[in-house]
Amino acid sequence: MNELIHNLAIWLDDTEWSRMLHESYYMYNWVESTHVLTLMVSLGMLFLIDLRMLGLALPDVPASRIAERLNLPMLVGFAVMFITGILLFYAVPVRTSQSLWFRIKMVLLAVCAVNAFLFHKRMNESVATWDTEPRAPSRIRLGAMLSLGFWSIVVVCGRFIAYDWFDCDTSPNTLIDIVSGCIDGQTRF
Amino acid sequence: MIAAMFTSYPRTLTVVAALLVLLTLAYGGAMDAVYPSLLGVFEWLETTWFGVIGKTWGAAFAFVEAVHLLGLALLGGSVLAGDGRLLGVVLTDVPMQTVVVRTHRVFVFGLSICLATGVFMACGVATKIYYLPVYWFKMLALSAGMLFHFQVRQPLLSHDIQSLNPVVVKMVAVASILVWFMVAATGRWIGFSG
Repeated sequence: MNELIHNLAIWLDDTEWSRMLHESYYMYNWVESTHVLTLMVSLGMLFLIDLRMLGLALPDVPASRIAERLNLPMLVGFAVMFITGILLFYAVPVRTSQSLWFRIKMVLLAVCAVNAFLFHKRMNESVATWDTEPRAPSRIRLGAMLSLGFWSIVVVCGRFIAYDWFDCDTSPNTLIDIVSGCIDGQTRF
Repeated sequence: MIAAMFTSYPRTLTVVAALLVLLTLAYGGAMDAVYPSLLGVFEWLETTWFGVIGKTWGAAFAFVEAVHLLGLALLGGSVLAGDGRLLGVVLTDVPMQTVVVRTHRVFVFGLSICLATGVFMACGVATKIYYLPVYWFKMLALSAGMLFHFQVRQPLLSHDIQSLNPVVVKMVAVASILVWFMVAATGRWIGFSG
């Protein structure tokens, strides 16, 4: 599996556009800046929704209204982050695919998606009974807390990707090398 | 007419005057006179606890960077929700006053996180950022943003928003979004400089 990912990353790395994007100082920085600054839209809206469920933001506005009205800008923000994230991966595919932090981030993104699905399902099932309450029921609050926690770790992992502490060509730790998908004798990093 | 304008918008005009003074000082030569003497302050910042921790433990610095981003997300979310409501783009079926008052609390929380983590980060790389023009642009933008938010936007919107001129309200919202975007963008650019 790791060899397959590595070969795919090398194939991407060899494409002209990947090299151009990686070597273009301004374009790469624009893409990265857009990825980071879109946090304000995507996570900003998500945090407002989660904080509303916890009773810490906009407690006098019906919870369903906050969730429904902020959902669209949040999804637009996530779409932009997703596209720019793919471009960032495409620009540096080999190193990124073998980054411990990137791998943790991808797993957490999947966990966040499942949590969001369950959160909305539970909310839609019961919101009529507590919509105007300042705080959501405990199950919904748990979902909101998990969302805040998971997304915070996603941001931390995303920031850590930039650092080379555990890169395959520098890390001497066997366990981390296994999790990162480092391959014995690999020559491309 | 000028007297009438000053009576109507004393805070706004005072803030504009303060910003003009700040810009004049920054680009009118006064900064050149003050700039060399600030180097000692930035060198001292690197010797503080924050500076030593930031320089010694890369992981601590990176973690604080991530918390800075989380603060930025909170700040950005509150600005976009509050100003988006003033522009009639989001939460249009919630009273403006409610959205503005409630998002302001989140804004203060986000800004506090950004300021605390920003000071820590600045201490860790103080002598580097001292020489970066973009760092000074960011400080200028941040000063403008805080002055604008606390001295213009909040006092203005503490009145009944429905009684205010809608054009003024929309201009305030656009200015707020632009100034905080500028703060975030210049902050991001620090990472690419030097």
